[in-house]
Amino acid sequence: MPMKKSWLRDYIIKRLFYAVIIAFGILTITFVLVRVGPSSPADKYLANVAARGQDVSQVVAAIEARHGLDKPIYEQYINYVGNLARGDWGWSFSTSMPVTELIKTHWIYSFQLIVLSSVFAALLGILIGIYSAVRQYSKTDYIATFLSFIGISIPNFWLGVMLILLFSVQLGLFKTYYDTSIPLFSLANLKQLILPVITLGTGMLAGYTRYTRSAMLDNLRKEFVRTARAKGLPERTVIGKHVFRNALLPLITIIMFDLGSIVFGGAYLTEIIFGIPGLGRISFNAIFADDYAVVVTVTLISAFLILMINLITDITYTYLDPRIRYD
Amino acid sequence: MTDRLESKHIARKVGGIRKLVLILLSACLGLTALLDIFVVEKIFSPLVYLYIALGTIAVLYGVPPLYASRRLIQYYWVRARRNRLAVAGLAFILFLILLALIGPFLTADPTAANFEEKNVPPQGFTIEESVYNPETQQFTTKSITGMRQHPLGTDNKGRDLLAMIISGARISLLVGLFATGIAVAMGTLIGTISAYLGGWVDNALMRFTDIMMTFPFFILLVLIVYIFGAKLFIIVLVIGLTGWTGTARLIRSETLSLRTREFVMASKALGASDSRIILAHLVPNVISLIIVIATLSIPGVILAEAALSFIGLGDPSVTSWGMVLRAGQQNLDTAWWVAVAPGIMLFLTVLAFNFMGDGLRDAFDPRSAV
Repeated sequence: MPMKKSWLRDYIIKRLFYAVIIAFGILTITFVLVRVGPSSPADKYLANVAARGQDVSQVVAAIEARHGLDKPIYEQYINYVGNLARGDWGWSFSTSMPVTELIKTHWIYSFQLIVLSSVFAALLGILIGIYSAVRQYSKTDYIATFLSFIGISIPNFWLGVMLILLFSVQLGLFKTYYDTSIPLFSLANLKQLILPVITLGTGMLAGYTRYTRSAMLDNLRKEFVRTARAKGLPERTVIGKHVFRNALLPLITIIMFDLGSIVFGGAYLTEIIFGIPGLGRISFNAIFADDYAVVVTVTLISAFLILMINLITDITYTYLDPRIRYD
Repeated sequence: MTDRLESKHIARKVGGIRKLVLILLSACLGLTALLDIFVVEKIFSPLVYLYIALGTIAVLYGVPPLYASRRLIQYYWVRARRNRLAVAGLAFILFLILLALIGPFLTADPTAANFEEKNVPPQGFTIEESVYNPETQQFTTKSITGMRQHPLGTDNKGRDLLAMIISGARISLLVGLFATGIAVAMGTLIGTISAYLGGWVDNALMRFTDIMMTFPFFILLVLIVYIFGAKLFIIVLVIGLTGWTGTARLIRSETLSLRTREFVMASKALGASDSRIILAHLVPNVISLIIVIATLSIPGVILAEAALSFIGLGDPSVTSWGMVLRAGQQNLDTAWWVAVAPGIMLFLTVLAFNFMGDGLRDAFDPRSAV
């Protein structure tokens, strides 16, 4: 055991070091994108200034001095990174508050949507997947496989629109828009999250069903399962302990990977469709208000979150499976 | 044996012509590009350059090896044909391509607004709509029946939905095929170079891949399209330039085992250059993987473009499915069919590519009993 501890510490240090490098890579890429892009943050002012008939060139100089745009590019980069590190993430023009404040009031809406959808998808997906694998080639298995194929292929933003059309417009069961006046921890809030959670969760649910099924089937054919059955263990123990635990490991990677790649993009769209004021929605509003700082910050935050999730996944892994060693 | 000799012969004969055509064509393209930049009148839009360049590369580098290994392809076709879903997928994709190629010539202009015929339901449906009558100053209900001229109905501006769907098929396929082409080509190059050269090159490229993978694909896409403007050319380029990471990793792990094989060693011993080993030995050996990855990444690309258009970051000069869906979402209570039709097309397209990709993967996998 002490052996393991020492290499694990080295491994975590190494991963943290990589994470720092990747974080700098993320910062650099967004910095370059924003600087190379044809429209600078100053442009948004200028349109207004010109409209009011003021002297544009003077205002340009003032804005450039204010944002440090007149300094050499490396100094701008250092300032940019320094500001982010100090927690100064910029000023949101459209809402007239610091971006950090904006994020603080809105992150919870994204968080609840993402957590509820992931839990819904993972629990249901794993259950259906196990059932499908245990009853392979049964009618239920065929239906589940077929439905999961449809679930994977259905564009989630269209699914959202169709759910609104059916349940809100035609049947009038739900409101078409998310109501922020409802307290977060209440049944009414849970009710209005049903459609968004289905919208975001269906794709994941289908994916997890498929992965669980194939991971379970892989392990069901292994020798140790035959041994477990031969020594007379009840089927429940064989499936739950011997097969499922071994299938769980690849599943966790996929769930974590999804959290990064699919969920963030999916949540972005889901929030827009249902008017949930999470990070995706404020970024979407910022795009049409030309509020630069917000759009960039939401991208950065998502990237950093994914970085953290990946790091945590790798470390959790070593605890879940003692055989794994990263050298 | 004769087959291999013949394919070698074809490859050699094609090689010289291929270089010549490539040089001539890039010279022509370069000249027109210069004209386009310095002379005011536009000959081609940037997107057309992309189409020509990618089309040429696909024909010159794709057709000869396909022709040379036509017996192998026939073998794979026989295997793939047994998967009915894959064949159905292929049939739908061919139908879609045909629709995209000739459809726009047969239908009305998808952008032509006609407020006389707005919110017409699809043929066979009748809806009640309340209309404000300025003379009596009252709302009266009017029933609108679907008509022959608009089989799928019209939207709130009276634009023909069928024409919009067909125009959208063209956009989706263009984006799907070309962006995937760029992404898969980049991923293949980065993956093979990384695996073959190893060492610090491998390390640097893979760390870069890690960085790119850390960005949530869609949110990065939104940021870049927002910064650089919503033009189809930019959307295709950006999806292509950001979507290669998964391909690079898969191709790298596949190539890692290839690089130590005897035929690569032999080639190296005979003095082949690194670029020749990569292009002539490594890439052709992962070609089946490349085809499967490409087929399975097209749906994601099509969906990404549709999602961009859906949130209002699509190219406003073309009619795409995402855009129609956006218009439909805003008028769900008056014209439900506008939101339904593009979604069904998107769904079927994605399903078709997924079925075909799965079928191809099984057909290429020698271990799977088809």
